[in-house]
Amino acid sequence: MNGMWLHRKIEENTGLLIFGILFVSAIGGLVQLLPILEQESLETAAGNTRPYSAIELTGRDIYIREGCSVCHSQQIRPLIAEVERYGPYSRAGEFVYDRPFLWGSKRTGPDLHRIGGKYSDDWHRIHLLDPRAVVPGSIMPAYPWLVRREASASGDITAKMAGLRRLGHPYTDAEIAGAEADLEGLLEIDALIAYLQSLGTGFTEEGP
Amino acid sequence: MADMPSAFWSGWIAVLTLVSLAGVAWLVWSVYFGRDRGHEREAGPVWDGNLEEGKQPAPIWWFWLLFGSLIFSLVYLLLFPGLGNFAGLLDWSQGSRLAESHDDYEARFAGVRAEIAEMSLAEIQNDSGLMAVAERIFRRECAACHGPEGRGQASMFPNLHDIDWQWGGDEERIRQSIRGGRNAVMVGWEAVLGVDGIEQVSEYVLSLADGVAANHPGKAIYDRNCAVCHGADGAGNPLLGASRLSDRIWLYGGDPDNIRATLTQGRFGIMPAFDEQRLDDTQLQLILALLVR
Repeated sequence: MNGMWLHRKIEENTGLLIFGILFVSAIGGLVQLLPILEQESLETAAGNTRPYSAIELTGRDIYIREGCSVCHSQQIRPLIAEVERYGPYSRAGEFVYDRPFLWGSKRTGPDLHRIGGKYSDDWHRIHLLDPRAVVPGSIMPAYPWLVRREASASGDITAKMAGLRRLGHPYTDAEIAGAEADLEGLLEIDALIAYLQSLGTGFTEEGP
Repeated sequence: MADMPSAFWSGWIAVLTLVSLAGVAWLVWSVYFGRDRGHEREAGPVWDGNLEEGKQPAPIWWFWLLFGSLIFSLVYLLLFPGLGNFAGLLDWSQGSRLAESHDDYEARFAGVRAEIAEMSLAEIQNDSGLMAVAERIFRRECAACHGPEGRGQASMFPNLHDIDWQWGGDEERIRQSIRGGRNAVMVGWEAVLGVDGIEQVSEYVLSLADGVAANHPGKAIYDRNCAVCHGADGAGNPLLGASRLSDRIWLYGGDPDNIRATLTQGRFGIMPAFDEQRLDDTQLQLILALLVR
């Protein structure tokens, strides 16, 4: 066979070259991504996974704003060491209400996917304000400003929830209407703790 | 890949992957071994006197590198899951590997687990090797709140070395505290007692370590409101998690200011539950050996 003939044809014809490049780079997507769009287990909420409440959603945005996911992952891999340390490995269906997901890629601190319920709210409060007060060797920065700002100051929660409903999160009208009232009187730290306490709690042993 | 959407998509993945591999193989082969291989100058413009179009295949070791990785891919796809629903000849999966390492883990520790189950707490306490293990488990699971040495911290998490056990310090009570967790509830008393009442009760409570002062102005208020849980003499009640007030050990701080704050806003100490997933029976037994004295 004469590959050089085809090679020359492509090299001399820019339109053909562009098409060829697009075609070749699309193959990976056609194999890896296209079938996944149809894979139901990735869109079905696992166990008791539910949409974040107004408070948790606000806390999640603070988690993103403060860059927690830069040092903390939220994905427990199916390896014995991780399962023993953190709990059941993360299931795809646990992240259906995460937009975007916060799996992270680096563990300067421990994984947080199963942190919900592990410590009391009071512990989190002390730890966020002064990590060394409870973990002497910790290198985590302190976040003292979280007690100085109202949770409602970090964005329009009603619009946020309405937007997420458009994307398929099953919020009721009452939940969206009551969202601002839910945040009434709460500080940013309260919202962040509510979010942390919800992490990984949707998992059930029987779930898909 | 058990939940591949359908046989169609499985076939789609397999066919596209194999066709791509074959296509790349053909391309690499034809560049090196096609009919018009070899160095060749082409008719065309010449720049700068000697710069002209031509072609020359890349060194042959590139061919072996590319072809080698293609063969590697094929072998990999034969052995491991990847081609649609095909599970691979080795029948390997991430789930089964986890299950296997779980079995290995259980097998590795089954002996020592059985040994520990037979031992009394005193026997464990006399085994320095086991106690070192217990301390490691303590540092992993308990130290975040109770401190690395278990001496309590942050004026909120109890010291586990003193004699004051809010929920009881015998083996069974500690086991319950760990397995089931504890939720202490002391409401704030400002609305009931008023600022003056809180002042008097806090003084009285601080004096309880020296015995009951019969004519203290705070005594009547204490007897009416506090004695139900904490006892008339301040001895506390481990069944309710009502702390002993007749000693000089104060979980939330023993300054008059701390006592007043406790009375004003209340205290809601929480010990999380440690189920078997987090702390299995053997590990719990080791922790008990560390704590029970």
